[in-house]
Amino acid sequence: MPSWQNFQPFIVTGLALGGVYALSGVGLVVLYQATGVVYLALGAVGAMGALISYSLIAAGVAPWLTWLVCLLFSGAVTLAYGMIFGPLLAKREPLVKATATLGLLLVLFGVMDLLWTTSSGKVRSLTFPTDGHGFSLGNVNITWTQVIGLAVGIAITIGTAAFLRFTKLGTAMRAMANDREITATLGVPVRRVEAAAWLGCGILAGIAGLLLADMVALDATTLTFLVISSLAAALIARLRSIVLTFVAAIVVGLVQNMLVPIPALTSYSNMAPFVLAAVALLLISRRRVITLSREEA
Amino acid sequence: MLDVTDSPDSPAGTASALRSPLLRRPAQPTLIRAVVIVVLLVFVLFGLPQLLSLYYVDAMTQVAVYAMVALGLGVLVGRVGLMSLGQVAVLAVGAWSAARLLFGTGQPYPLVLLEAGLVTMILGTVLLLPALRLRGLYLALITLMLAGAVTVVLATLNFPNGGGGFSGYDGNQTHIPPIRRPSIATSDPAYFRYSVLVAVVMFALVAIHIRTRPGRAWAAIRQSEPSALAAGINTTAYKLWAVALASFVTGVAGGTYAGAVHYLYPYDFPAYTSITILAVVLMGGAYNLWGAVVAGLLMQLLPALLQNWGVSNDWLTILFGIGVVQVLTTAPRGLADQFPKDMAKLGHLLMGLVRRPVPAAVPETTGGETP
Repeated sequence: MPSWQNFQPFIVTGLALGGVYALSGVGLVVLYQATGVVYLALGAVGAMGALISYSLIAAGVAPWLTWLVCLLFSGAVTLAYGMIFGPLLAKREPLVKATATLGLLLVLFGVMDLLWTTSSGKVRSLTFPTDGHGFSLGNVNITWTQVIGLAVGIAITIGTAAFLRFTKLGTAMRAMANDREITATLGVPVRRVEAAAWLGCGILAGIAGLLLADMVALDATTLTFLVISSLAAALIARLRSIVLTFVAAIVVGLVQNMLVPIPALTSYSNMAPFVLAAVALLLISRRRVITLSREEA
Repeated sequence: MLDVTDSPDSPAGTASALRSPLLRRPAQPTLIRAVVIVVLLVFVLFGLPQLLSLYYVDAMTQVAVYAMVALGLGVLVGRVGLMSLGQVAVLAVGAWSAARLLFGTGQPYPLVLLEAGLVTMILGTVLLLPALRLRGLYLALITLMLAGAVTVVLATLNFPNGGGGFSGYDGNQTHIPPIRRPSIATSDPAYFRYSVLVAVVMFALVAIHIRTRPGRAWAAIRQSEPSALAAGINTTAYKLWAVALASFVTGVAGGTYAGAVHYLYPYDFPAYTSITILAVVLMGGAYNLWGAVVAGLLMQLLPALLQNWGVSNDWLTILFGIGVVQVLTTAPRGLADQFPKDMAKLGHLLMGLVRRPVPAAVPETTGGETP
């Protein structure tokens, strides 16, 4: 068993990653609540945004501008998908809505592999100026990027919670989560509220894509499937509570990283999100009653 | 024989299916269909290996393997409405078990395939048993999570390469022996025939299931779980049965795959392939057994063709992505169902174009609108 010393750096990376999982997890929950779509292409959109950012930096564009382009791209793609296919699939069950986003995932994945092929063995990386700077806490070095990861996660969670609680648009989103039809009857512009949710989720995907590209790897496959970790967090929170999503994301990040220094479990550390989510799903189903409704969740 | 198209959404179909097999839609000219299938099969078994180069024979072996995978997923999607997002993990488990048995024992190949199927079946049912209370989206997502976990375990365990112990993996091995093929099918064309026969057996197994009691129970469950329950169907048992059958078929496919490629590595089974498989199954049509054949062709023959023509496979991934969205929004029953209809429409259109000049000439001569 490794000593406490060995765990410390992994707690830091775990918290930072957990923060990023939280911010995309919050995006997933908000979008699911407002539109009933589990957006499985979130990781792919963010990955492509990060790759675009990488190429622009390589072409000599100022980094902050490329980050903006990344957010714009992921926001625009997500919004476009939501506006075109949201209404077409609005009346279908959640499973179909989620499966359709896998189509977007495949398209983006194909485009990424076409434009930024990995078969040549080229390793890309995206770095922030904050990577090299940081401070020491005890004997652990913490970079500002890691601080940003956790801070953005906290900020987005609090911000979104406040947004849903206090703004008119947020109230409309909560109303839609309850009952879409009644909300529409009350005169809420349902399509516009949905558009806002899609756009917001897309931008969060872009932020997560940038941060994960720096913290984990700038690789289409890795980033595309990191959505599973955020999804795990969102599922533990039953796709409902934003605060619970944040807590779950931190737990997922921590467990995943704290298994690394334990030699017997190192290679199984990536199982953590899957196992945690599977257990959470099973607990959800513990007291399920069979109903006639086709809706689930 | 294979064309079992009971409608996914017509309540009449299910009700009659439940009451008695006699009340079902009268059989199509079964004899003609059987003859067509036999002729097709004879051509595939004896004609194709003669006509195709070894490159395409190998590709067609993969088509047979993936048609089985698609068949298994088709049972889950089309029969009990379970969209599994982790079929590649199931395939990998089947391939792993078969490889381990082939290295560890001298058993005949068909027995190994059977055992690989059974191991996969047991693992699949045990893992999904607690999840069967879930439905729809949550059930699909839990398959994604379980598959992810299984993939991590397999990547750590590694695929057998002739070593000892439980895992059969020896990292220090310098000369890795190939996974053996059945003695009657060591050459590529022979192994292709062998795989097709295995696939035919699996298709027959599923077709029998769909035609008999479990198939009718699945149809009822897909329509409405509460009413199936009210009709006295043990929904949990039949859902589990479907999972078991699908895992078995996919496990056998894994065993066939192991012999086809000779060497197995964890990166042969990437997670996104599960999504591609789901996409091609939805595109091919999950309610129709031919859909599985279409799915196998889409998944393995098209990439081989494109590679031969020097076109990147990524275009195919993009195409599948568009295809899955298109299928979900407009043609929920897939290509196997849509294509004949489209062809019929096209036929009507062409016939109309051919016929049009005759009626169009009539008003011109009698009306005389144009001076």
